[in-house]
Amino acid sequence: MINYNIILNAVGQHLFLAYSALIISIIIAIPLAVLSLYNRYLASILLLFANLIQAIPSFAVVAIVVPLLGIGFKPAIFAIILRIILPLFKNTFTGLRDVEFIYLDSARGIGLNQWEILRYIRFPHAFPAIFAGIKFSAVIANSVAILTSLIGAGGLGELIFEGLTNFNIPKVLTGAIPAIIIAILLDVSFSLIEKRITLKY
Amino acid sequence: MIAQVWKTQQLTIKTVEHLSMVFMALLFIIIIGVTIGVFLYNKKNLSDIVLNILNVIETIPELVLLVILMPFFGIGFKPTLVASILYSILPVARNTYVGLTQVDRQYLESARAMGLSEREILWNIRIPLALPMIAAGIRIAIVFTMGVVTLGGLIAAGGLGGPIQTGIHLYDKDIILVTGLWIGILAVLVDSIGSWVERYLNRRYGYD
Repeated sequence: MINYNIILNAVGQHLFLAYSALIISIIIAIPLAVLSLYNRYLASILLLFANLIQAIPSFAVVAIVVPLLGIGFKPAIFAIILRIILPLFKNTFTGLRDVEFIYLDSARGIGLNQWEILRYIRFPHAFPAIFAGIKFSAVIANSVAILTSLIGAGGLGELIFEGLTNFNIPKVLTGAIPAIIIAILLDVSFSLIEKRITLKY
Repeated sequence: MIAQVWKTQQLTIKTVEHLSMVFMALLFIIIIGVTIGVFLYNKKNLSDIVLNILNVIETIPELVLLVILMPFFGIGFKPTLVASILYSILPVARNTYVGLTQVDRQYLESARAMGLSEREILWNIRIPLALPMIAAGIRIAIVFTMGVVTLGGLIAAGGLGGPIQTGIHLYDKDIILVTGLWIGILAVLVDSIGSWVERYLNRRYGYD
């Protein structure tokens, strides 16, 4: 009855979609956070946007991408990035910014330059916060990646939507159950890594 | 363009529908969430298990939670309501629990010194001091509920999700743009009301 190949394929597409968006977002968000550390205007504008966009439903974000970029895989990645990049930025930025003054002061005292302070003081201190942001974003990416099937990105969501259109509950479940398993695995594994990082730093 | 879409998609009615669903879901969420929070405060050894279970529910994609409920609740408003509740209980319950347990020692000590019973301390000291935390939890719940109710449009729950689905199916950019932006604006407005209430409670009951 159940075609495992179709499910595995969909799982692969889903993971590829969610994780490529996550990786691109991390690559963009972290340099942006470092830049904002030295530019107060950039920081306040991005933080304002981060707080505003947080409130907008994912479905609306996914929908708004369609008139801008059309449908398919690329708009879907763009929608996920749009959804997760600002929380990532916010966590990284606040983590880097809120290093206790005493550490920065002693680092300057022993003659470290800006770059070394960033590398040896700020980043290690910000690591738990950055990782918390990545965990949060991974969960959201996983969730939005299901939704983007609506705009033709394929993956597990497609099985769900195909099942929905002709009210075929078993088909809906073949999409939904792997999605739940992925979500739980994601949360458990990230929590374990998070625990080790928080212990270390 | 805006006026036309607004009229053909009946966005005024849809908005009223949308907000009333959010409001109703929030009523349930606040009642259930605060009750769970107070319950966990009374039974602290259960708090880890219960909060972890709620945490797992929260990692499940919104849409998947919605469709998983369909075999039990059918389509439309009911599964949407249940999904919103399941999804948003965690922030309210967790914040209530944390708010109640993390009251400063000095307040508790002076209350005990005045001879207040534990029940009186809960109602007169802990709950008022926990209000800003609870409000922060409710604010997160509002954001989640807006998201789930919007998705409810996909399973015929009404509200503003419906026009978006129509727009995507017809590939009508005007409908998508107008409805999508309107949902965005609405969400930001509702959230800023929430943040205003939160700030008020912080001034009234906050520690600093």
